[in-house]
Amino acid sequence: MSDTADQTVVVPESGAGRSDMIVLEGVEKIYPGSTQPAVSQLDLAIAQGDIVMLIGPSGCGKTTTLKMINRLIEPTAGRILLDGKDVTHVNGDQLRRQIGYVIQQGGLFPHFSIADNIGVVPKMLGWDKQRIKERADELLHLVGLEPSTFRDRYPRQLSGGQQQRIGVARALAADPPVMLMDEPFGAIDPITRDRLQDEFLEIQRTVGKTIAFVTHDLQEAVKLGDKIAVFATGRLEQYADPDTILTRPANDFVSDFVGGGAAVRRLSLVELAHLELHPIETDEKAADSRNGVAVAEVDGSGKPVSWRHLPGADAAGTPLVTVPISGSVYDAVDVMLDGSASLVAVVDDEGRAQGVLHWNDLVGGLRTRKGDA
Amino acid sequence: MNYLDYLSSNSQQILFLTQAHFLVVLIAVGVGSAISIVLGLAVSTGEPNPNRFSLDWFATGIREGSLVFTAALLTVPSLALYALFLPFTGLGVTTAIVVLTLYSLYTVLRNTVAGLTTVDRAVLESARGLGYSRMRRLLTIQLPLAWPVILNGIRVTTLISISIAVVGAVVQGPGLGTLLINGISRIGASNSFYQVLTGTLFCLVVAAVFEIFFAIVQRLTIPRGIRV
Repeated sequence: MSDTADQTVVVPESGAGRSDMIVLEGVEKIYPGSTQPAVSQLDLAIAQGDIVMLIGPSGCGKTTTLKMINRLIEPTAGRILLDGKDVTHVNGDQLRRQIGYVIQQGGLFPHFSIADNIGVVPKMLGWDKQRIKERADELLHLVGLEPSTFRDRYPRQLSGGQQQRIGVARALAADPPVMLMDEPFGAIDPITRDRLQDEFLEIQRTVGKTIAFVTHDLQEAVKLGDKIAVFATGRLEQYADPDTILTRPANDFVSDFVGGGAAVRRLSLVELAHLELHPIETDEKAADSRNGVAVAEVDGSGKPVSWRHLPGADAAGTPLVTVPISGSVYDAVDVMLDGSASLVAVVDDEGRAQGVLHWNDLVGGLRTRKGDA
Repeated sequence: MNYLDYLSSNSQQILFLTQAHFLVVLIAVGVGSAISIVLGLAVSTGEPNPNRFSLDWFATGIREGSLVFTAALLTVPSLALYALFLPFTGLGVTTAIVVLTLYSLYTVLRNTVAGLTTVDRAVLESARGLGYSRMRRLLTIQLPLAWPVILNGIRVTTLISISIAVVGAVVQGPGLGTLLINGISRIGASNSFYQVLTGTLFCLVVAAVFEIFFAIVQRLTIPRGIRV
C-alpha cells in the first residue's frame, strides 16, 4: 500500500530553500530529583514558516520540549538556536517577549480589557499608545472579531472560542517570527475547535510564522502540521511530514500511536485541486458523442444539477453530488457516502463543474496532476 | 434627664471621642495592613521544589512562621496585650495603636497570602510565557487579582479593631472606650447607663463610616474586569 502512495500523493513542500528558524541541538532535560530524563538528546530543526506539531502520549516530553524553546523550562544540556542565534543563555524574559506564546486555557488577564490584553507585549517593548491601539484593532480584525465591539470588553464577557482567538492575537501582537502553542484548542468544543483550526490555517497563510504546536490529537496534527514530531518518553521517534508519518511509520511505537485508520486519515491530506480528475461535460452537444465522458445537466448559472449521461452507469439512477475543489479527498468521500453516489462532481468556487472523481479511483490509486506535485 | 438631653449636653465630648476612636482604628489598621501586604508580597513564591533547596524555602518558612506568630497574637486576650505593653510604651495613644496594629496583622496577612496564591495558574503561566519578569508579574497581575481578597481582609480586621479599641481605655487609650469603662465602673449612678449606651451606639456609627469608606475604596480600586 505504501508503495502506491509514494507515486500518487501530494506531499506539501517543506524545508526547501528555507533556513531553519528553530534549532534544538542535543537538548536534554532532567528534572531535579529525577534520574530519568524528561527529554533526552533531542535534535530538532524547524524550518522558517513551518508548522511543526509535537505529539505523543502524556509525559512524552512534548510540552517540556516546547517550553524549552522559550526557556520557560531551562534545558539541562544542549543548545537552542533561534534564527541562527544561540539563545541558551540570554535573558529569559527578554527572549520570551520575542516569541509568541499561546496556552490551552487562553490565560488572558481578567483585569485587562481585550485591547490591553493584546497590547501587553508591545507595551513591554515600549511601543507608543497610539501604535499599540492600532495594532490591537488590526489583530482583532485578523482573528475575526469586530474591534469596536470587542476592544473594550473584558475576558469574562467572551466565549471560550473568542478568548482563544484573543490568545492568538496577543501572541501575534509584537509580530514575533516564532510562535509556541501549547494545546491551544484542547479545551474547546469540537465544532468550535474545527472552525478555529481552519481560521488558524487561514491566519498562518497571511502571517507565515514559524510555529511549534503541542497537541495530543492526531487528527489535529495531520490537519495543521507541515511536519509532525512524534515523541515517546523523552525521545523523538519520528519527525516527518504527516503523510510519511501515516503511511510509513518509522517504528512500532509510531505505528501503534498512529493506530488504525491511517489510510483514511491520509485522505484529508490529499487536496482535490492537485488531482487528475476525470473530465466532465456540460455541453448539450457532447451528450450525443457518448465517448465515455460524464455529462451533466446544468442550471441557468452553470451549476450541475443531474447526470445526463454516465459511461457504464445508469445516469438517471445516480444522484449528482458535488464537492468544492478547495476540499480534500476526505470531503469527497464524505459527500459520496452521504449521497449514496459512486462518483462526485468537483466544482469551483462559482459552482461550475471542473471534473469527476470516481469511487474506484480511491481503490485504484489517485493520480496527481502532472507537474503539480 | 432623658437620653436626648444627655446627648445634647455631652455632644462635644461624644463627638471628640468618636473621632478619636475612628482615627486610632484608621492609623492602626492602615499601618498593620501596609506591613502585612508588603510582607505577604515579599514572601509570595511558587511551591518550593521538595527536591532542591532554594530561596523559595526561606520565603515559605518566613510566610508560615509569620502566619503562626500573628495568629498567636490574635488569640492573646486584648486586655492582657494592652497590659503587657504598658512597661514599654506607657499609658496612652502609643500603646493603643501598637496593640491594635498587632491585632490587625493576621487577617490581612492571611488574606494576602490566600489572594496571591489562588490567582489562576494559567494566567500566571501565560504572563511568564509572554516575558513578564517576576516582579512585574507580582505587581501588575497577582496583586490586582488578589486585591479583592486582601481588601476583604482589611475590612474584617477594621471591624474587629473597632471593638478591640474600646478596651484600649484601660491604658488610657483614645476613643469611645472611655465612655464605656466610665459608665460600667459607675453603674447605677446617674447617666452611667447612658454612657454605656452611647459608647456602644457610636461604635456602630464608626463602623458604618468605615463601611461606607470601604464601599468607595472597593469601587475605585477593584479593576472593572473582575468586579462582581
